[in-house]
Amino acid sequence: MDLSVVENILWVGFRSATPLLLASLGEIYAERSGILNLGVEGMMIMGAVSAFITALTTGNPWLGVAVATAVGILMSLIHGVISIHLRGNQVVSGLALTMFGLGLSSVIGRKYVGYQLPVKARFLPKPLAEGLVKLPVIGKALFDQEPLFYLSIVIAVVLWFVLYRTKVGIVIRSTGENPAAADALGINVYLVRYACTALGGALAGMAGAYLSVAYSPAWIENMTAGRGWIALALTIFALWNPLRAIFGAYLFGVVEAGGYTLQAYGYSQWLLNGVPYLLTVIVLTAGATETMRRRMGAPAALGVPYVRGEK
Amino acid sequence: MGIKSAINSPTLSVGGIDMTSSQWAALVIVGIIVGAAIGYLAAPKGAAECPPCPTETPAPATCPPCEAPPVKKIKAAWIYVGPIGDIGWTYAHHAAKEMVDQKYDWLETTHVESVAPAECAGVIEQLIGQGYDVIFTTSFDFMDPTLEEAQKHPDKIFWHCSGYKRAPNMGTYFADFYQVYYLNGLMAGALTQTKKIGYVAAHLIPEVVRHINAFALGVKEVCPDCKVYVREIGAWYDPTKARQAAEALISEGVDVLAFTEDSPTVVQVAQEHFERGERVLAFGHYSPMLEYGPDVCVSGQLVHWEVIYDDILSKIYSGSYNTQNLQNVDYWWKLKEGSVELGCAFNQPINPKFINELKSVRVQETIQLPNGTIIENPDVYTLVMARLIQMGAVWTGSGWVFVNDEVFDPFTGPIYDDQGTLRVMAGQRLGHDELWSMQWWVDNVVGPALGG
Repeated sequence: MDLSVVENILWVGFRSATPLLLASLGEIYAERSGILNLGVEGMMIMGAVSAFITALTTGNPWLGVAVATAVGILMSLIHGVISIHLRGNQVVSGLALTMFGLGLSSVIGRKYVGYQLPVKARFLPKPLAEGLVKLPVIGKALFDQEPLFYLSIVIAVVLWFVLYRTKVGIVIRSTGENPAAADALGINVYLVRYACTALGGALAGMAGAYLSVAYSPAWIENMTAGRGWIALALTIFALWNPLRAIFGAYLFGVVEAGGYTLQAYGYSQWLLNGVPYLLTVIVLTAGATETMRRRMGAPAALGVPYVRGEK
Repeated sequence: MGIKSAINSPTLSVGGIDMTSSQWAALVIVGIIVGAAIGYLAAPKGAAECPPCPTETPAPATCPPCEAPPVKKIKAAWIYVGPIGDIGWTYAHHAAKEMVDQKYDWLETTHVESVAPAECAGVIEQLIGQGYDVIFTTSFDFMDPTLEEAQKHPDKIFWHCSGYKRAPNMGTYFADFYQVYYLNGLMAGALTQTKKIGYVAAHLIPEVVRHINAFALGVKEVCPDCKVYVREIGAWYDPTKARQAAEALISEGVDVLAFTEDSPTVVQVAQEHFERGERVLAFGHYSPMLEYGPDVCVSGQLVHWEVIYDDILSKIYSGSYNTQNLQNVDYWWKLKEGSVELGCAFNQPINPKFINELKSVRVQETIQLPNGTIIENPDVYTLVMARLIQMGAVWTGSGWVFVNDEVFDPFTGPIYDDQGTLRVMAGQRLGHDELWSMQWWVDNVVGPALGG
């Protein structure tokens, strides 16, 4: 296997990992605050369709990203109201959000099937600097990418910093860990949870925008094709840590992209493609005990509605 | 009737029964409906003096004209496996359905999309409950549920796409692309500079293997030492996987791509490389995909399901197809019937951007057209046009003319498989069953091991 093939696997893997990273960063924040949102796929597809329509009609991909982010927030607030204010079952509400998003996006997007974004209305990978791209193996993967790729890394680092190095981070984590105690300390649990859910929606919407204005610049029904669910697996795999999510997303992406090169050598890629999920299952299983859960950082109050004054 | 309204309404008494005014109103309305119904039933059927049709004696002017056919409507329903917006398989079926729906007054249609195979039988039951008497199911996975429903409802007509099980009231149909893939292969062989051609495949089922082999035979005819490299993505629809497979092939030196999966991703990837200044060409699949790759889409395969749907529905309407005679009805239509078309856009068999390049490559062979014309060492553009004529589809320069005759088939021997075994003897053609169960690679294909 020569180096250019490896270089290419990394390039393609990193590109396909970008939407996973974005969506999973948002879900990390939502879950850290105690809200399990299984509606990532639905928010992502709504982001994809709204970004595509906006970019197609205005010719501006950034406007598409902005609208997708806003649509993602609106979608997530549906889940927020149900799970925070109405204290509904978060699993059911999240699943409903996914189905709602898939259906609604088909209806909205029907007229736009069959169009491709012109080059100026989409993001194309562009070399940052010739010298950097020439770096062996990783040059192309790191420095020949779309703007949203760089943005996703910046967002990941910022979110990590906020979560672990600032007071806001402590507030979010304590809300997900023990909302009653956080409340007693004067933290507005509802507000924190709404904000984190909305951030989750915003980033899922942005992930969808990446799919429709950068990765495959067209609207095709169900174009997320399960990426939202992979982002959910990645959230667990990353142990709810934004920096580990970067590593995890690129691992997921590279493993998948590398599978097709393996095929050329006569190996089946299906086993390799299963590795990230196998690791996720191992993480889940290991996390079954309380002590391990603690050590891994799983939010203790994840999925539990908070009722003020109870207990 | 609530207590409150009974108190507020003036009460009349008939035969000792107390009734409010609204109850009276209800009684009057019921009376009118019943009276109208009795009047309608009691009225003479048509004017009594009208002679029975057909008739030679002149009928009074008030009589309905005899040449008017009996008012008969056919209610047909389609069941799709995917969403209509997939730009692939379901999109094509739906477009065809819309075309026949608009063409015929006597036809009423509906459709149900994104139906999982497990839901198929239930959806058929619902549609029959709604009065649909012709059901089209458009996925291989729907074969068994469709057969079961056909046996359960012997008075309805069923058509299953891409399968092989039939019943007296269930026929099968398919528009096959292998001839078109072969023509694409001829062009791919002429346009590759690296002698490496890539193929992204959804699943390596016999249909896809047949298409890849036909494509490879075309490549081989123009470029004997070119190879076709196959990657399987394991999904009919997954743009991410299709892109990863296409990029993997490109990184291995492939510069022309063809595919069988349900998204325009491969064409998009090629166009993206064009934007970045690299030459990667592609062939479209199923739907017109020129929009996705105006600078890279050379040609492709297009389907016209409406040709088949039109034929089937007209024959049901005329009575040639009924619930008793479909056991052996299998449409397996190709170029000569006009059910498939060569091109990346309708009415454009080859993207004009590539015609000159195709004309600059010559092939050492002799071709005889059905009218006796002999072409020596044609260029690839002429070769493609000649092969089209030999397979029954003539491109006039502005449209298609079909001659229902085939004098050439891509699967004509000698053909060796990738293990060196002679699969088709010199001069022989593969038959329907061999094509439908194909599980071996033509010798210039480099692909994953096949099951069969």
